[in-house]
This record gives sequence, C-alpha cells and structure tokens, in this order.
Amino acid sequence: MEPKEISRRNFIRVSGLASAALCLGVYFPASAKEEVIVSKAAADARGIEMNAWLQIDTDGKVTITDHRAEMGQGSFQSVPQIVAEELEVDLKDVNVIFAQGNPKKYGSQITGGSSTIRGSYKQLLHLSATARTVLIMAAANKWAVPVSECYAESGNVIHKPSGKKFHYGELVVDASKLEAPKEIQLKKISEYKLIRKPLNRRDTPIKTNGEAIFGLDKRLPGMLYAVVERNPRMRGTLKSFDSTAALKVPGVKKVFKVQMKVYDTTRDGVVIVATSTWAAMQGRKALHVVWDDSGFEHVNTIDIVKRQEELLKTSEGISFKTQGDPDGVLKQSSNTIDVIYQTPYQAHSAMEPLNCIAHYQPDKIEVWGPIQAPDWIQGNLSDEFKIPKENVVVNMTFLGGGFGRKAFLDYPYEATLISKEIGAPVQVVWSREDDTTQGPFRPGIAYRCQGAIANGEISAIKFRVAGQNLDHWQGGKRDKPNSSTDEGFVKPYFNSIKNISFSDINFELPIPPMWWRSVYASTHGFGYESFMNEMAALAGKDQLDFRREYLKDERCQKLIDRMEEVSGWKSRKKNEGYGVAITECFNTTVGQIVKVSRHTDGKVKIDQVWAVMDCGWYVNPDIIRAQVEGSVLMALGAATIHEITFKDGLPEQRNFYNYLMPRMSDMPPVEVHIMENTADAGGVGEPGLPPFSPALTDAIYDLTGNRIRKLPFDMNKV
Amino acid sequence: MISLNVNGKQHQIDADPNMPLLWAIRDILGLTGTKYGCGAAQCGACTVHMNGEAVRSCVTKLNRAAGQQIVTIEGLSANNNHPLQLAWNELNVPQCGYCQSGQLMSAAVLLRENLNPTDQDIDDAMSGNICRCGTYQRIRAAIHKAAHIQQEAAKI
Amino acid sequence: MSAPLSSIATTKRVVLFTMVSFITVIIMQSFKTETSLKNDDTKPVKDSIGSVKAFMSVYKVLMSPRCMNCHPSGEAPLQGDDSHIHTMNIKRGTDGKGMYAARCSNCHQNENTAGLHMPPGNPKWGLPPAKMKMVFQGRTPHQLALQILDPKQNGGRTKAQLIDHMANDELVGWGWHPGDGRTLPPMSRSAFVAQVKLWIAKGAYAPSAN
Repeated sequence: MEPKEISRRNFIRVSGLASAALCLGVYFPASAKEEVIVSKAAADARGIEMNAWLQIDTDGKVTITDHRAEMGQGSFQSVPQIVAEELEVDLKDVNVIFAQGNPKKYGSQITGGSSTIRGSYKQLLHLSATARTVLIMAAANKWAVPVSECYAESGNVIHKPSGKKFHYGELVVDASKLEAPKEIQLKKISEYKLIRKPLNRRDTPIKTNGEAIFGLDKRLPGMLYAVVERNPRMRGTLKSFDSTAALKVPGVKKVFKVQMKVYDTTRDGVVIVATSTWAAMQGRKALHVVWDDSGFEHVNTIDIVKRQEELLKTSEGISFKTQGDPDGVLKQSSNTIDVIYQTPYQAHSAMEPLNCIAHYQPDKIEVWGPIQAPDWIQGNLSDEFKIPKENVVVNMTFLGGGFGRKAFLDYPYEATLISKEIGAPVQVVWSREDDTTQGPFRPGIAYRCQGAIANGEISAIKFRVAGQNLDHWQGGKRDKPNSSTDEGFVKPYFNSIKNISFSDINFELPIPPMWWRSVYASTHGFGYESFMNEMAALAGKDQLDFRREYLKDERCQKLIDRMEEVSGWKSRKKNEGYGVAITECFNTTVGQIVKVSRHTDGKVKIDQVWAVMDCGWYVNPDIIRAQVEGSVLMALGAATIHEITFKDGLPEQRNFYNYLMPRMSDMPPVEVHIMENTADAGGVGEPGLPPFSPALTDAIYDLTGNRIRKLPFDMNKV
Repeated sequence: MISLNVNGKQHQIDADPNMPLLWAIRDILGLTGTKYGCGAAQCGACTVHMNGEAVRSCVTKLNRAAGQQIVTIEGLSANNNHPLQLAWNELNVPQCGYCQSGQLMSAAVLLRENLNPTDQDIDDAMSGNICRCGTYQRIRAAIHKAAHIQQEAAKI
Repeated sequence: MSAPLSSIATTKRVVLFTMVSFITVIIMQSFKTETSLKNDDTKPVKDSIGSVKAFMSVYKVLMSPRCMNCHPSGEAPLQGDDSHIHTMNIKRGTDGKGMYAARCSNCHQNENTAGLHMPPGNPKWGLPPAKMKMVFQGRTPHQLALQILDPKQNGGRTKAQLIDHMANDELVGWGWHPGDGRTLPPMSRSAFVAQVKLWIAKGAYAPSAN
C-alpha cells in the first residue's frame, strides 16, 4: 500500500484539447512504475481512465474527490487541506465528494494501515501544485507578462506589478490547453498557510445536526430492508428452516437461504426481506432455523489460552528475525526473566453496525455503505458475480466507525447476493448482536518473552508469539512466519540490542481472525513494551532512561526528551505510579506516559495520559490529537473493560450489556504532543493505540509492585 | 393510525404500536439523524427528547410516544446554532460522528437543567451515551463551552 | 407536570387502591382458617422467636437482587443477579428517578422490554429518594428490621402501611414479574406478605445485633 513516488516529471502532461473545466488527476498505468498526472481532456483523447481528483470549473468552483473513506479519521478535512494549500484556494470554496471504488483511477483506496495521508499526500501536493502552475502560466500568457511576475492567491492569479487579477474560473479553459512544466515547485513547510494548522473539520456541521449520511441512513427508491439470521458458529451449515410464521409478519416479503463468503470459508444464513427494518427484525424473531454444527471444532477460550501457553513452552516456532545468539546468551546468563503475556480476542464494535445497500441488475452492480475498501470490494464483486469492473459501482458513505471491520468483503457480497435474489435494491442491516458476535475478531495473542541482563545492560531478548495469523487466511504459506511478527516494536532497538530474536508459532483455529485498529501492534505492543519495562526493572533502571539508552536514533531521542518534559517525569512524586511505553507502526512512533494513583475510595485511577507522536510530515494537528485521544480510549477498553470469549464455539458477548464499553466517566485526561520535523509522513489513526496498555500496566506496577501480564484486567481490583 | 408529534410537526402514521419510536422516525418519517446503535438502551445513539426528557427511542414504543412532544436532532435548533452545536463545531468534537446526535440530545437536557455543570454532573448525565471513537474529552470541554456560550447569551 | 395530569394520576391511584383493598379483604377472609393468620390483629400474641424467624424469611426476599438492586448503599442502582453497580454511571438524583439525561424512565418503560438484558420496566421505576434512601444493601437483619420499622427511615409508614406497601405496591410487585432472564425472589409474593404479616403480628421483633 506504499505510495509510488512521482519520479518522472516528464510524465506530467496537460492536454492542449479544449475543455470546459480544468480537470486534473493521477493516472495509474498498468504497465508503468509511476503514476502520471494528466488532465481530463488528455486522458479522454488517449482513452485513459483517470481520476478526477481535482476539478476547477469555469465559474472557479473547485471540486476535490476524497478517494479514501471518512470514518472519523478526518480525510474529509485533511485531503482538501492539502489540495487547497498547493492550489492556493480558500478552503471554504472547495467542494468535496467521495470517490467511488476504482483502483485504476485512484490506486489503493483502502482506508487501513493509517494510509489516508501517508499513502497519498505526495501525489496530492504535486497534483495541486501542477494545477496552480498551469493557471499562473495561462494568466501570464493572457497578460503577455513573464510568469515570474505572477502569483496565485485565494483562487486568483495576480500580476504583481499591475495588480491585475484573473480568478481561476477565467483561466481554466486556457490552462487546460497548456503543457505543464516538468519541474513543479512545491511550497516549503514554512510557507504553509493551511497544512499543519488546526483547522476546523468541514464535516462537523453535518455531524451535529443529523444531516450526515452514514451507510444506514442511505435510502434508494424501491429499497427493501433485510436482516439475516446467520449461524452463530462460524463454519456451521444450515440444515433447515421454517419461514411460515416469519412470512406472516406484516411487511415481510421473502425469506430464503443466503451464504456469505468469509475469506475462503462460508457463513450460512437465512435472510428476511421486508418493507422496513423493524418488520424484518420481527420476521427474524418468528423464524425457526436448524443448524448443523458438526464436523469442526467448537472453540473455548479456556482451551485457546491453554494451547497457546503449551505451545509457547514447547515450540520454538518459525524464526522471523534473529540477530546474534540470544539462545546461547540466555543459557549462560544468571540474571534472566521468562514470562508470558496474554491478550484477548476483541470485536470491532463500531457504533454504526455493519450494513450495506446493494442493487444488483443483470449487467450492473451498485453498492452503497460504510466501506473502508471500495476498490477491493469492486474487484471482489466483479469476480464473484462475473460482471466487468467498470459496471460495479461502489459508493462510500460516511462510516460510523470502522476500525478495520469495514475493510472487508463479506457484508457487501452478502447484500449483493440478496439483491440478486429479490431483484430490487436492499439494505442489509446487522443488529448490534450480529455485529458483536459474528466476527471476524481481532485474535488474542500470547507472548513468551525471555531476557537476560548483564552488568545492567540487555544481553539477550527472545520473543515467541502464538496467535492466529491473518496471512494464513489470505493465501499465506504455513511455513512462513507471520509477516507482522515484530509490528509495534520500535525499529532502533535492533541497532542496540545485539542478541535478539522473534519467532512465530503456528496457531490455528477454525474461526477467522481480522485486523483491528493498529492490527498486530495492538497486542504486540503490550507484550514487547511491557517486557522492556520488566527488563528495565531487572537492570535497576528508570524506564525512560532505559529507552533513551536503547533507542539511539535521533528522532527517538527527541521523542523521549519531549516525553520527559511534558510529563514532568523528573519531578514525579511518591504515591504516584508512572508508566512508559513507546511503539512504532505505520511509520509513526508514539511514546506514552500514564500516571495513576490510589484515590480515597481505594481504587486506582488514571490521572493523566501524555502522548507524544512522531508522524513526520503532517496535515492537521487537531485531527491528530483527536485520533490519539480516541486511540487511548479504545486501548483502555480493550485493556480493562471488554473481551470476546468463546464457549462451545459461541462468542459469549452479544451487545453493550456484556461487551461493555468505556464511557464518559472512564475517560482519562489525554494530552497529545506532535513532534515537528520534515520526515516522510507516517500514519496517525492507529499508532496512538499500542503504547497505552503497556504504559498503563507499567504505571500500576510502579504504584503497586504488581506486574499485570494478562489483558483485560479489572481496574477496580488492582 | 398513530399520532406522532415530531419537531413540532404532526404526523399520522400507520404502524404497529409496538414498533420502537426509533424505526418510525428513521424508516417512516425519514429523519435519519437519530441512530440505531444497540436496540437495547445501552448506547444512547437513538436518544431523542420526549416531553423534554432524553428517552432512548430504540426501546420506546410508539404507543408510549403517541401524542407526546418528540424532538430529534433535526429539531434541536433551527440553524445548527444551539449552544451545544456551536461548541461542538468550535472544538471539533465529532470523529466518525455516528453517536453525536445522541450525545447532543443528552447534553441538551443536562444544559437545560444545569446552567453550569461540573465535570461530575457531566459524568452523571452523559455516561449513558457510548462513543467508540473516544471523543469524551472533547464532549466534556464542549459542554463547558456551551454553558459559557449560554451564559453569555443570557447577559445580552 | 401540570395539575390536571397529576390529579388524574391521583384519581387512578385511589381507584386502584380501593380495588386492591377490596381484593385484599376478600383474600384475607378466604385465609381466615389459616393458622398463621388466626391471631386477631388487634390483640397480637407476642412471640419473639416466631417474629424473628418470619423476619429472616422477609430479609431473604429484601436482600434478593430484585429488591436490593434498587435499595443500594451507594448513589448508584445495582443490576443483575450479581448485583453489580449499574453501568452507565447511573445516579439516584434527588427524587430517586435519575439525573439529567440519565432519568430511569428514559430507558425503563412502563412495562418490561422483552428479551434478555433488555430494560425492565414499571411506571414507578426508580430508587428511593435522596432524603429517604431506605438502604438494604449491606444491612444486617438486625439493622434492616429496625430501619424498616422506623417511620423516619421507611417513608413515614405505620406497620399497617408497611404491610400494604409490601402487599400492594406496584413496583414491589414487579419483583415477582422481573422479565426475561432475571431470577425471582426466593418465595412467592403471597408467601412473602404472609411472613411480613407474621413478623409484625408476633411483635415485629428485630433479630439480635449479633
């Protein structure tokens, strides 16, 4: 998902053909290594399919297509903020629309891996600067003055000596006939007027008055509603069903079997199609279904945990990375620790339950929904239903949260199957119980961490990981270690720890796993960074100094300085517990310090969380702060409040009454700081999550002497 | 026929009196600002005002709502200018935004009954509304801000 | 609340009370032959052992989750058969009906909402008010017996009114119709009321403090 660099300037062309608007986009040639910025006119002339990423009409109206989902992470604000900066237009004059899924036009559109900005910002900057440049050239030509005497500001090109000006709308026709220069001058960070500013989000007004349309809010003429009674055990099949009573419920139109694909397996269900959501839900209650749950293991959490522990004790696993000879050093060391860390399964529980509208027509499919991966869904529906990609239209609405679950294919596929069967557009609604129980879940992972300290220094570290491997569900080979085995671990550690190894132990279950906010770092971070705190304690060193010693990289050193400064690390008092963790994922490093104390009611409370993020080049500091505040809360829930457990193959939690969520009264104060540098942009939506739980448990250790190695734990009992 | 008064407008709807108000508002009246989150009065995403109280429309049947004064997020203010909406916008409260209709409707009851709520009051009033994005800290700040906006407006 | 509405409610309550009293009289007459009720209410035969024994049965009911959950020691109601603190940081408030956007009736309807874990309901749903908390949770039998008998702590009720409350109060009665998935108190309501009456008839003794 890494962006391709725009390396060959001579690929940037603006066509000489007449056009009603200046319409620029990036073209991703199937054969070439680089994408190309082209105008619409040029693209049409060459039969190229391009994205209309940026369009300026003759009345000067600017329209930007947001190619990524808006699920709270702020693409709806940050993408235009980038474009308006280099284009030199006022943000208020910029209209934003969501793209449809089309990787040929936009490259990867998956909103995952914290990729919205880091995956596209360079293209967006170049695209916008190109447009500005040709507009200036067009104006200079009209006035017959040198380009150097002209500049752009607020949607106008101004001739400096005379003060004459054209607004962009007056220039687009001429500009679209020009050829763009090979070298485009981008602004310096110091020249930014919009980027790096905490501008208000443009989607806030419609999210405070009920106007924003989420997937569940989308309506189509003639649309029916459906709910599906799916087998509560993944892999079970449908034996029989009796729809007699369901069909008698007023509004219920049709009841039939539907089989949803989940990776390479299936989930059987019976769908109830009705004239309203409520009628469909009533029909479901009246439905009688018999499942066949034979022929596969019914998992129990108790066994999962036991098996992981057993594997960690008996198996070496597949080596992911070995540096030096940790096994040899560990054998000869006297000052060692050997501990197991454990993390639970989790549901995503976005506030908007899964849903999707599909309209299947013989030669065309159109879907609407809260979708993180429109391009992927387009490809999948095209393959599954044998309809050419260009006739599969995937529309993104606002997402009421995603956290990875809405970057999947199952729910649009199922909706399309249902629409095909009934021959009408249909909205398939997942109940909260469906959303909580049907997974796929974030896998619970266990870690065996061994380490040795000699002369106050780390002499060896050995990590073994036992947990479900997402690679295996996507065609990955079983003899390969999990490709994300060290996700979350801060890379500069490798430069200073001579003897270190990571290995991955195959751990298979019949239930499919899924990425969840910050993916493997969400659990690895807890294992690895908790262990670094244990090593610091074994070495008799301050946790922050210990990090400073092993993270020699300049950016890390600065990050640690900042953590020390903002948290008042050196002036911490008795009866206060302070914990530390630093993790890295999606090219961003985040350090957190958590402060806890025992309150008068006898309970340990979180008094403060300080987060310092180094994400390199960034767009909107307020959006970043919000993302980190949210990441901390999500981590708090997963560390202290909820988990998915299985009994006899069934998830035991169903809704917020037993899959509890942190609430207003649980929210600790979170202070977020962003490092200023010019490094390449990293992600911001996820990297704030992994360091929280190890920092929290470290703070509790600092206060109580009790090291928590298993999540979730009860804050009321520490 | 059930008589519903929503945002000051009278509606006659033909629906099962056991249907929760939520589905009537969303699927029949087409007011989709009120959200389905749990269907069990656990998350508050469906909060609307009924005679001024912040009821959970997912468990409030039409036969209870009939004839009462219902206000949804679409009717909270004429122009997105309730002090809470102003504060929400100023402090960039929403992330995904899905829970925010319910958050605002709950906060509006708090702010009506308590002109200057403390953090404890906010905890007591707002803990029935789940936000999975973690905007609680900003909701808290925005309620304080809205109280201030409201007090300033009262001085004029 | 406007005047006409509350007067309608009062009228309704009076009618209900009259009906219930009438039914109670009929029931009591039909029980006249029962030994436990043979004692003339006006001339009780004091029996401290029998009274305490009856109270211990009463106590078991009062301390069951269906009763105790709304008579908590703190400001928050309790939930479930394990009597955990009500999620959502719910608080009693002045009138016992919750606070601000977290009023009981915002979720708790006039009747139970069907389904496991769905909000139970009753028109009177709520906790005792702040000025009369009537705490059951954590009370020993001795403490609870004295508290229940004390008009300053029991809502100003005489013994007869206490019996009436236990026998006829609509919200107390909810305990025996708690909705899906909630266990019932350890005895039927009629058996419970019989024990309350027996306790009082035999002298309303409190179990000893030890």
